[in-house]
Amino acid sequence: MAVSREKLTKKDIDKMSLLSILEQSCFSFERMQAPGFVLGMIPGFKKIYGDQKEEVAAAMQNNMDFINTEPHMATFLQGLILSLEENGQDRALIKNIKTGLFGPLAGLGDAIFWFTLLPISAAICCSLASNGSVLGPILYILIWAAACFSRLWFGRMGYNMGVGAVDMISQNANAITKAAGILGMMVVGGLIPSYVSFTFAETLVAPGGVAIQSIFDSIMPNILPLGFVFFLYWLFKKKHVNTLMLIVLIILLSIALSFLKVM
Amino acid sequence: MEITLVQGLLLALIAFICGADACWEAFYWFRPLVVAFFAGIVLGDVKLGLAAGAVAELSYLGLLTVGGTVPPDPLMAGMMTTVIAFTAKQTPEAALGLSLPFALLAQWIGIICNTTFAGFLAPLDRAAAAADDKKFIRITLTGVVIKAGLYAVITFLSAFALQKQISGFVEMFPVWLIHGFEVAGGLLPAVGLTLLLVVMLKKQNIAYLFIGFLMATFLSLNNILPVAVAGVAVAFIGFLKDSEKKSPVAAIPDGGEDDGGI
Repeated sequence: MAVSREKLTKKDIDKMSLLSILEQSCFSFERMQAPGFVLGMIPGFKKIYGDQKEEVAAAMQNNMDFINTEPHMATFLQGLILSLEENGQDRALIKNIKTGLFGPLAGLGDAIFWFTLLPISAAICCSLASNGSVLGPILYILIWAAACFSRLWFGRMGYNMGVGAVDMISQNANAITKAAGILGMMVVGGLIPSYVSFTFAETLVAPGGVAIQSIFDSIMPNILPLGFVFFLYWLFKKKHVNTLMLIVLIILLSIALSFLKVM
Repeated sequence: MEITLVQGLLLALIAFICGADACWEAFYWFRPLVVAFFAGIVLGDVKLGLAAGAVAELSYLGLLTVGGTVPPDPLMAGMMTTVIAFTAKQTPEAALGLSLPFALLAQWIGIICNTTFAGFLAPLDRAAAAADDKKFIRITLTGVVIKAGLYAVITFLSAFALQKQISGFVEMFPVWLIHGFEVAGGLLPAVGLTLLLVVMLKKQNIAYLFIGFLMATFLSLNNILPVAVAGVAVAFIGFLKDSEKKSPVAAIPDGGEDDGGI
């Protein structure tokens, strides 16, 4: 693959990070942050590939999969991906690395922003506000504006890390692709129980008075989400179903099952 | 006190701006403390906005329970706590309880948006395949405009005209319909994860999918990080094996490795 080094400047990375403010635009349950995640990298892709439209398209499509990470820290991944694209790394490798990292980054980011900064800043600012001081909300806005711009720093960190590791990655591309694939699979396996929820209503009881859900739980907890994923996998692989049709069907089916008090 | 048409429109504008931020979670203007502050300015009672914001914010964090209610949508909780305290001359604490139907309504609208926006992904995929960045950005931002617009509409209606009716509407709304969207919200991530598997799943790595699944199912983990650390460890073992293999293979002629076997 053509190597195109050093097309992106610090400015381009900062632009990507600022665009990541839009990272959660068009959030959907199906692929969560994918649209906004790709959006932030478009100017970078266009600068790397210039007139090669097919390459820009391939780079965009390569990132359209399910992703859900902490919005501030998404730029770390975006910066990393841009650095790998810039150096002409294999897209399967890029996808594997991205899939392996977004979940752990979300955990880290939530711990920093959602579970630490939010309660502390809210407690301080609310006590100011309830004493009638306008400083409360203003300080709150300022704290979170500062937090918002931490994404510039995360973006540069991701990009620099990718640039620094490029030689190592190039020399061991195959082994790293495989290793990242292992990490990615393990993370996706771990995400199934937390993201997919497939439970029958407690009131749904088999003849004999045992709740249907408890039968499945006694076989193995989360066996229904796992089974559902593999059922969809089969539909995609063997039946080549249309994704949009499938979504509409799932929504209608969910409403029907809810109406019938099955789920 | 009555809310004028101009105030109603300004509140809707605040809801639109903070609603866009509620999509992004970028500036945290969707938090009750900020929304109520802005609403207080519009209504000409900043003190009320501060008090309502503090009550709603703390309650939403779970730091303060007012009548056991945790309002589901923070933006609408902040907005309507202020509006109800202003119009009905209630204390912020009482107004927070009365704001619950509106926060619920906003939460439902959020669930319906997150479900139906999955329909935007097919056109987005096509735009990506054509490298049509303008179209891609337009579709993506349409989602924000719709959601923020809905915040603005319910805020305007709730604050200016139809407060009682909307509250009644929420009480009468069929719960099964909303629950249906919640069920869909639990199932749809399976589509996204499956699409990922269609690309990534191979015979060589399917075992790791199950290991990750079992870890997350049987260990009570707060997030995916421990699974990832284990994944890195396993991947590193594989990586070392692969790079060890590389050096002897280079030295020994092809096929030499297998001669020692059996």
